[in-house]
Amino acid sequence: MAAAFKPVRIQQGSPVHWALRAVGVAAMAYLLVLPIFQDLKPNQYGELADIAILALAALSLNLLIGFTGQISIGHSAFFGVGAYTTAALMDQRDWTAGWTFPVAAVLCFVVGVLVGIPALRLTGVYLTLVTLALAQIFPALVRKAEGITGGSFGITGLAYDPPSWTGLDASDRGDRTKWLYLLALGLLALGYVLVRNLVKSRVGRAMVSVRDNTTAAGVMGVNVAVTKTVVFGISAALAGVAGSVFALRQTQANPDTANFTILGAILFLVIMVIGGTASLLGPIVGAFVYYRVNQFTIDIPEKSWLPEWFRDFLVGRPNLATIVFAALLVVLMFVAPFGIVGLAKQTGRRFVHVVPKPPALAPAEQLAPAVDADIDDADSDPVVNPFAT
Amino acid sequence: MTRFLQYLFDGLSSGAIYALLALGLVIIFRGTSHLNFAQGELAMLSAFFAWWLNESGLPFWFTVLLSAVFGFAIATLVEHFIIRPIGRRSTFAVGVALIGLFLGINSLAPFAWKVTIPEQVPSLFPNAPDDFVRIGGATWRIVAIGNLVVTLAVAGLLFVLFQRTKLGLAMRAVASNPDNAPLTGIKVGRVLMVSWGLAAFVGAVGGGLVASQNGQVESTMMFTIFFSATAAAMLGGFDSLLGAVVAGLLLGVLENTVAGYQPELIGQELRGTVSLIVILVVLLVRPSGLFGSARVERV
Repeated sequence: MAAAFKPVRIQQGSPVHWALRAVGVAAMAYLLVLPIFQDLKPNQYGELADIAILALAALSLNLLIGFTGQISIGHSAFFGVGAYTTAALMDQRDWTAGWTFPVAAVLCFVVGVLVGIPALRLTGVYLTLVTLALAQIFPALVRKAEGITGGSFGITGLAYDPPSWTGLDASDRGDRTKWLYLLALGLLALGYVLVRNLVKSRVGRAMVSVRDNTTAAGVMGVNVAVTKTVVFGISAALAGVAGSVFALRQTQANPDTANFTILGAILFLVIMVIGGTASLLGPIVGAFVYYRVNQFTIDIPEKSWLPEWFRDFLVGRPNLATIVFAALLVVLMFVAPFGIVGLAKQTGRRFVHVVPKPPALAPAEQLAPAVDADIDDADSDPVVNPFAT
Repeated sequence: MTRFLQYLFDGLSSGAIYALLALGLVIIFRGTSHLNFAQGELAMLSAFFAWWLNESGLPFWFTVLLSAVFGFAIATLVEHFIIRPIGRRSTFAVGVALIGLFLGINSLAPFAWKVTIPEQVPSLFPNAPDDFVRIGGATWRIVAIGNLVVTLAVAGLLFVLFQRTKLGLAMRAVASNPDNAPLTGIKVGRVLMVSWGLAAFVGAVGGGLVASQNGQVESTMMFTIFFSATAAAMLGGFDSLLGAVVAGLLLGVLENTVAGYQPELIGQELRGTVSLIVILVVLLVRPSGLFGSARVERV
């Protein structure tokens, strides 16, 4: 770090710190809440809804990978279980969509715990393999279970009319999309609060300790098995709820949907990594960036400011967006393994240094000289280093 | 019995391809303890390369060989410029980078060759309707025999390489003790590069076999095969070459038999569940696999 100037030091909990926090929260709230009151076009609400759904899925993955250190590339399966739970209950039992969310969450929790159990004794590669297997067979299972899932045709015609108390017009296309956006946003907020509270609590510290040193965590009295499986279950439940909203947004559930295959699981991982592994805001930032960059890349062949030869080169070549994200993923591992949020925090720390509040000491200890704790940013997420080997 | 023989022959054919990919996974895992997610996609890229050269008139078997050399080159570059620098950071970062490679290579092949539909390739072996041997009433197609023979030949060559050459000795040394290997003068970096290259070489041969068997190349051709290959590598013990071959063949036969005897319940669509069940059973009963050393299950 350049030692040219010293970062401003701010005491944690001091008025300046609170002011900074307030500004941050206000800015975020402004960005998030603005679309609710603004009148956007229906497709803009649709975009925001899609972003919120992706963010929720990436959030669930971040809880598992970022904070607990268990790599899953099978979250597309949970996403799909959630989607199909909602679709099947609405299609065959005539449920209202809202009531299917808790069912989807519980079902995915159970499946997640069941998947987490066999890999308990083992780490790394083995869990990844089990989840890979799950992602691989989920679409096949769906095609096979025609009675529930409608087989290869899937379930179509899912509709969730905005309830009358929202004041939205159920017959207006824009209002219907807005309702889905509000729904997705609400669930994302709920998921965020849940994950935040989990991570900042005793459970969260247990999770991080399991991630950083499983053996030491066990010695310190953390129940490693319970922590791992329950976190897996919660993560699966969140992904399932994201899938539920996704089905409503698509108005159908179909086994050919990319998000239900392993590519979906990889997509969630990409979003999480781009945003910031082991960061609470990461998945939301990641989903935004992913969506925008994706749109931009898809439109590239039409950009008139690009040289002619380059546009000619792109004619007839599929998958440009995917290649960009794959390259981004690899490059990020070199330059910013903690994603955008990690990079922003690192940069911010050069200018503002939040000094953690010294812990409340017992009377006898108060005589000891106060240590000028130079611990990095204790206000941020309780992360030491998820990349430590 | 005829029925079982038929499933056995078909299973050995698909199992041969699993074995090839599993061999690649094992070679890399022994060296660096990474699960190479891009293994299947590297094979796919090589198969596209072979198809492309074949279009210009070269015989397919020759272009498959060339594509294996191409795969070797690509994989050494990947190891040197991507995996090793990131590996200094952490295993997790390598995992993410490998998933990125999986995604990137998967979309790169159609992008580079402007391919959106499957492209036709010729068969490597005689594939007329009457090209088969009849044993006990079951038909053993020349194509199936060809797959098996190629796999066994590659496995044999690998065995000779590992057991009888200086390079093989160095690779075994790096696998068994990466910390002490450099003290004896082994250039670990170069050995790992060669390991990745070899893995991609073997995988490319597998990719060529898949292309020849399907009669076409497409970007998704290795998805399910790669998945079965990981299950085979796991069943074989992840660090045993012999295990990879035996487990690959075994898994192929198992999948075909189960799918054949339960056409309603399992059938071709749910063949993958066999691999999933194998993975789960191995995890619960014998995490080190059939031939693996217990080192792998260290927690």
